[in-house]
Amino acid sequence: MAYSVLIVDDSPVMRSFIRRVLRLSGFEVGECTEAGNGIEALAQLSAHPVDIILTDINMPGMNGEELLRRLGADGTLKTTPAVVISTDATNERIVRMIELGAQGYMSKPFTPETLRDELERVLGDRDASRA
Amino acid sequence: MPPELDQLSALQKPSTMDQEPTAADTIRQVAAEVLEAMFFTEDELAACEHGWLGSARCARIRFEGSHFGEMLLGVSVEATDPIAASFLGLEPMELTDAERGQVIEELSNILCGAMLSKLWPESKLALSSPELTGWQEWREGGALHRCFVIPEGMLAISIRLIAPTPDPRAPGPG
Amino acid sequence: MKKAGGEKIMAVSALIVGISDCKVTRDSNSVLVTYALGSCIAVAMHDPVTKVSGLLHYMLPESTIDAKKAELNPFMFADTGIPRLMDVLQSAGGDGKRMVVRLTGGAQVLDSQGVFQIGKRNYLAARKILWKAGILVAAEAVGGEVSRTTRLEVGSGRLWVREGGGIERELVRNTAKGRNGSE
Repeated sequence: MAYSVLIVDDSPVMRSFIRRVLRLSGFEVGECTEAGNGIEALAQLSAHPVDIILTDINMPGMNGEELLRRLGADGTLKTTPAVVISTDATNERIVRMIELGAQGYMSKPFTPETLRDELERVLGDRDASRA
Repeated sequence: MPPELDQLSALQKPSTMDQEPTAADTIRQVAAEVLEAMFFTEDELAACEHGWLGSARCARIRFEGSHFGEMLLGVSVEATDPIAASFLGLEPMELTDAERGQVIEELSNILCGAMLSKLWPESKLALSSPELTGWQEWREGGALHRCFVIPEGMLAISIRLIAPTPDPRAPGPG
Repeated sequence: MKKAGGEKIMAVSALIVGISDCKVTRDSNSVLVTYALGSCIAVAMHDPVTKVSGLLHYMLPESTIDAKKAELNPFMFADTGIPRLMDVLQSAGGDGKRMVVRLTGGAQVLDSQGVFQIGKRNYLAARKILWKAGILVAAEAVGGEVSRTTRLEVGSGRLWVREGGGIERELVRNTAKGRNGSE
């Protein structure tokens, strides 16, 4: 089955990097949309729900932490798995994002293969929970 | 001198076997991890001869929270295209000028975040969006600084703590 | 050849890949083998559908140091050897999008200049070239200080690695335990 993905990051080249990993990982990716911050992400999600959200934390406008908080408060969106992809590897942040519902946490730097493995794990868990 | 700068200065002393890694060790370790994992290149410490920084692509990123400061990254002009191309999986001739700048900004973002997370793992920090800047804004006084040679050219990283800007809303002395 | 019970067993032919060498085959009865991987890198590629498989053993990352040598033998260098391997695999009927790619070698050993770093440089060169070519590495056993032997079974696509004087073990998809083959 084809997965729809939303990539949320204020860096266009980081979004390209992630999109490339998705494409090369062998996942069947149906629609891959992008947002530059949490505000854009929520606007997109209200129109087109997705199978997985990949989000940065430090973004202008609305950061990834606030985005997860809003997703968790939304009856429809709270079941969409979110993976954090961030430079912030401080303990407090990781714990907070997991408590807010993040299903995975990738701290930069990481290799493309490590991101692929994490996506496989999260999508595998998602598929198993829906089986 | 604000007390935080004393802390950073103290971290600059070379470490010994029985000491915690210094900030200088951390910069070196993080630079190697970042460059190898996402840019497929390796670095070595180099002597600081800064003539090349005049034409380098530089990015600055600020951080605030439990620590206030900024980091500067300089990438030599001959290294910019290979680094950007490696990150994006492209040939150098396929790069747009926007992509060149954005990759340098993202490299500074990754280096800064990874360094701060290693230096102060229990801290609470927010990073600004990186911004491209010129050599004129490169500051060496009071900064922890290292130069690296990579197969593609040169890299320089400088990080410093600054005193937080006083909150204008805070009550003044009575 | 027949077993005592009358079942046929097929003879396995071992194709030895030397240093700065590369071999490609689609014979399911073949095994591609390379020995003495110190700082060199072995790139193993296998198409699970057509069974087209290749094994490259290269010594150095970049051919710019000696373009003439690269012309005579592209398999000495990563930047000429890996693209050539991919071309030959495609000509033999392999599909680049299906290729399962694994890396072994890249140990930190003293090279002829007394430098330790060539293993890492070889490894980074392979990763950069593969990323640019649109290929993610499925598994790897690299680094450390041990010499390795690598064996690719063409029929099954299974890759086996022996490190130092240790026992041979199968290289499967990397776990979080480490990419250098140790657990």
